[in-house]
Amino acid sequence: MSSYVITIGTIIVIQAIAVCGLNVIVGYAGQISLGHAAFFGIGAYSAAILTTKAGFSFWTALPLVIGMSGFIGLLLGLPSIRVREDFLAITTIGINFIVEAVFRYVQFFGGALGIGGIPRIVLFGIKLKGITFFLLCLGFLIVVLFICWWFTRSWASLACYAIREEETAASTMGISPVRFKLLAFVIGTAMAGLGGSLYAHYMQFISAGDFSFPVSVAFLSMLVLGGMGTLWGPVVGTLILGVLPEVFRPLVDYRIFFYTLLLLLMIRFQPGGILGEGSVVRRILAPILKGGRA
Amino acid sequence: MIQPLLSTKGVSKCFGGLKAVDGVDFDVFPGEILGILGPNGAGKTVLFNLISGIYQPTAGKVYFHNDRIDGLPPHLVARKGIGRTFQIVRPFATLTVLQNLLVARGITRYGHLSKVWGSWGSQSEIKAAMEVLEKVGLTELAHRKAGLLPLGNLRRLEIARALVVGHTLLLLDESFSGLRHEEILHLEALIQKIRGDGRTVILIEHNMRVAMGLCERIVVLDHGQKIAEGPPSIIQQNEQVIEAYLGRKGITYAA
Amino acid sequence: MRLFIEQLLNGIAMGSIYALVTLGLALVYGIMRILHVAHAAVFTIGAYAGLFLFQLTGSLIVAFLGSMACCALLGVMIERFVYFPLMKYPPYVPLIGSIAVMLSIEEVCRLVAGPYILTFPAKLPFPDVYLGGIQISSTLIAVYSITAAVLLVLWYITTHTELGLAMRATSQDISISGAMGINSHVIITLTFVMGSAIAAIAGMLVGIYYNQVYPTMGTVPAYKTLALIVVGGLGSVPGAVIASMLLGTAETLLIGYANIPLPRDALAFIAMIGVLMWRSEGLLGSSR
Repeated sequence: MSSYVITIGTIIVIQAIAVCGLNVIVGYAGQISLGHAAFFGIGAYSAAILTTKAGFSFWTALPLVIGMSGFIGLLLGLPSIRVREDFLAITTIGINFIVEAVFRYVQFFGGALGIGGIPRIVLFGIKLKGITFFLLCLGFLIVVLFICWWFTRSWASLACYAIREEETAASTMGISPVRFKLLAFVIGTAMAGLGGSLYAHYMQFISAGDFSFPVSVAFLSMLVLGGMGTLWGPVVGTLILGVLPEVFRPLVDYRIFFYTLLLLLMIRFQPGGILGEGSVVRRILAPILKGGRA
Repeated sequence: MIQPLLSTKGVSKCFGGLKAVDGVDFDVFPGEILGILGPNGAGKTVLFNLISGIYQPTAGKVYFHNDRIDGLPPHLVARKGIGRTFQIVRPFATLTVLQNLLVARGITRYGHLSKVWGSWGSQSEIKAAMEVLEKVGLTELAHRKAGLLPLGNLRRLEIARALVVGHTLLLLDESFSGLRHEEILHLEALIQKIRGDGRTVILIEHNMRVAMGLCERIVVLDHGQKIAEGPPSIIQQNEQVIEAYLGRKGITYAA
Repeated sequence: MRLFIEQLLNGIAMGSIYALVTLGLALVYGIMRILHVAHAAVFTIGAYAGLFLFQLTGSLIVAFLGSMACCALLGVMIERFVYFPLMKYPPYVPLIGSIAVMLSIEEVCRLVAGPYILTFPAKLPFPDVYLGGIQISSTLIAVYSITAAVLLVLWYITTHTELGLAMRATSQDISISGAMGINSHVIITLTFVMGSAIAAIAGMLVGIYYNQVYPTMGTVPAYKTLALIVVGGLGSVPGAVIASMLLGTAETLLIGYANIPLPRDALAFIAMIGVLMWRSEGLLGSSR
């Protein structure tokens, strides 16, 4: 495999991890978030600081990074979740802008220069790069997908679905909306933190702009495109939106235009996503899937 | 003297300047079917929302098993053992009928984060849920998406969701409205059966014939105030009630 | 003191422009409950259309009217072809649609007019004014007077005409207004016409005021105005205007004058979160 393919593949897998986290928040619990890049950034910055300034290795820092992302997700989720649905979209946009501004203007986070010199991940004495790093990321993606699958089978997911569908009815069945929305927020932001950490160690240099609002829009677009609330939707969506710009590369100047146009057409005519309920792909695949199960 | 299961003491709710519920006192005794009647806008649904914690009362108290439950959020009221249905049905539309029921059956787990990680798809859970579905007559539709069901089935699904273990009091908000004649008969039988299981039922009803046939006692609300209380035969003769109803709407004897 | 007053005047101008953009957002939210992010792209198109017409005809009046017509059409098209068919889905669907429209329009601008900053060499038909030694430039006067005129007209329409009454009824409850014999789709269309025409004015004013027109000029307003309608109280037009004025002034004074190194674009959101914690329904919002 050429290094070009491996680079694109690695970025796609890392983003898919973050988008899986977004799926827990938006897809399972129905809480719109347009600030997911902020938590991706919190993961990346905490990994960068712990490994460059505090002398941690990737592995010793990892639990702290995931814990930190989840904890900040909890702190920022608390006020967001108490506001009305329409406010939530705007509040999460606000969180993204504020977190990005903190990275950019606070010296501790490297200011406008960002943080460089982030070490490579070492596993069994080997510095991971290229294909080995890709495989590590893939391993983490599989773990994340497994957690998502496990989550969808749990009572916690049932409570989240109920809140997504009908919050008032859910609350009259003993489900505390705040508790389960926060739970989804913590799981989702922790996954974003994991993705961010891998991103920091892959790029070895990060700056505030990597975690700006358009990145959140891209994450949400990937999720919507793939099909929110489905297990494989985040992976499919990330793959398509990750590969498309490369496919469109011959279009040079028109590349981004076609990309945005495709997103618009997708949301306009297939708002459930590629793997969503009643989508074209689902309808085509339905006989095959049913046949497989029977 | 028998202790009431639920009692309200001077419970009131204002929206802006409007008193939707105005100082209502009533008791429900274990094992009875109590009807709440009144013309449109009398405050019946608001009263249910006050009991189930969706609204907080502006004044007054609500006791359940001698505990104060006013001021509690809905999920805590539910965990005390009060289930309810909604006049405008609120199914979990993209979940299946069975999953809708399982959500309700999780009530004993949602209070403890350590208990919510098990699988909802275990044999025993599904079997227990299917038994409830059988009771309300939805067995065949168990794997349909709830959002695709007709109204009559949704009303039964809502009752099934309220029928979980530990719910001693059910609040049924106009469960009969929009149903066909045979569906009404079916539902009347179901409610009798529920009461036979030792549960207490409060139902809001517009259809006088149904209310008179099912309820042992009736409370009549008008303009947010209780204007009458008693067994159906007495309520039917009450002049204030007749005026409140006939004055604007006429009593619906039609089934 | 003089510097302060000059900065204050600039701040009010900034606030006026925010107000003109935010207005449209508040109107659309009030009536459709949609976060119309693409409104900022309409604003960008307004600046480009105005610049193009001005270069073509040399007349500012033609440029203003033509740009307003252009944007009104664009706004209605967005509503018809994107929002209306997506109304039945959860709110995030039209929101993402709106973001996609906005990115697409930005790209169209970049492809058609090029990625560079164009200048808007308009000379306004009135002179600068000197008041007690302080110069008030003709562009500032234009911003003030046009904003005031727009607000007055809008106030008159919403309070003194049947259209305004119908708009208020529709924003209360679309289904009830339908029962009252109001054709709510006509009202929605007219709302987009008004909001978009006002955005065109704002786009041209920004172009003339800063002498700059470029493809991404709508990006920052797109999200900042979202914060502003929250601060004002979602759907409240007076609230949106007040919030815009306050923010424009605060931004200019705090960052330009007092030299506090605050990230300018995050200030709106910091204010928003502050207001939400203090009054969860916004400055003039009604609690529902």
